[in-house]
Amino acid sequence: MAALRDGEFVALQSLLKAPSRDAVRQLCQECFSSPPAGLGPLAQRACPGLTAGPEEAEQLVSALHNLTRHVVYHGLTRAEDILSLFPKDFHQNLKNLLTKIILENIPAWRNEAQASQISLPRLVDMDWRVDIKTSSDSISRMAVPTCLLQLKIQEDVALCGNSPVVSALTVELSKETLDTMLEGLGRIRDQLSAVASK
Amino acid sequence: MGLLNFTRDPVPEAVSGDMHNLNQLSAQQFSALTEVLFRFLTEPKEVERFLTQLSDFATMNKISLGPLKNIVKSILLVPNGALKRNLSSEQVRADFIALGLSEEKASYFAEQWKVNSPTLTRLAVGQTLMINQLIDMEWKFGVTAGSSELEKVGSIFLQLKLVIKKGSQTENIYIELTLPQFYSFLHEMERVKTSLESFS
Repeated sequence: MAALRDGEFVALQSLLKAPSRDAVRQLCQECFSSPPAGLGPLAQRACPGLTAGPEEAEQLVSALHNLTRHVVYHGLTRAEDILSLFPKDFHQNLKNLLTKIILENIPAWRNEAQASQISLPRLVDMDWRVDIKTSSDSISRMAVPTCLLQLKIQEDVALCGNSPVVSALTVELSKETLDTMLEGLGRIRDQLSAVASK
Repeated sequence: MGLLNFTRDPVPEAVSGDMHNLNQLSAQQFSALTEVLFRFLTEPKEVERFLTQLSDFATMNKISLGPLKNIVKSILLVPNGALKRNLSSEQVRADFIALGLSEEKASYFAEQWKVNSPTLTRLAVGQTLMINQLIDMEWKFGVTAGSSELEKVGSIFLQLKLVIKKGSQTENIYIELTLPQFYSFLHEMERVKTSLESFS
């Protein structure tokens, strides 16, 4: 499957007008990280630096986004694989520069993709305290230890964008509940070891 | 009537009359009635069974059910108060005597109280307020095979479903943990267990 359409490779050549290699690097990173909806504004910001019109900038930014995402999606890791994506008549130096920049960024981009993938709400932090209940309306004297567990949960990153919503949930566990929970967690740990050792 | 242990409030007037009636029962009848009462106290959800047993007792001993229920209501005042105030069996016995029950019956009841109090105490503790009590936990883990950004992922995910009791309803909370988070969570929970055990 071709990474880009022919027209898109042509659009990439606009990078030749970039002021420096660092500018190209910066633009690559921004294009990868931006969601499709953010490409328009990004193109507008890129116009002056590339001395390009809005339409040209948009095509460039879109092509760069698609190229970087394609590489990360397919898990390409070798320079040859990336170089071979370009058409034969593509500007050599630009091709080498882009390949170099992409290779440098692949690990970070992979992590970014994994961190932002959809998921259930994620546990981001937990705190606990142990209380001793000494009295209540049903019995005036007792000494019952109990655990309060506070879980900080972050809603789906993909939905929140730059302002993650973190909610705190405080849960009370009796000793029996904790024992049962630990039993369950222990079983998970055993199964994980079994899977890992295969 | 002197100061009672099981309550600070004045006792309803009917109580002394009910105690007088209780004194008329034979030792055997009192013992049978006490058994019915404690079976109910240790299993408070079995209301139907309790009422049936009371009704049977009434029939067998040729007592009317209405007055019997009143007597039972009076008797139950003492164990309920005693539980709240952690009374000893001597205090329970003293209270019954102060209310007018015969020494023999008061001693018998206090004895049964002593035998049943561990169970009753455990029940009372169990009824104590808990905030967002965790009642169940389900889990699954697996491997993320791919996503829209990455064709091949191969990372392990762990999902927990916590069932929380909020007031009278339950709420399900779903969370996802990474592997390092899971090990950290497990480690913390083990520390909690050690802490709870040192206080038990």
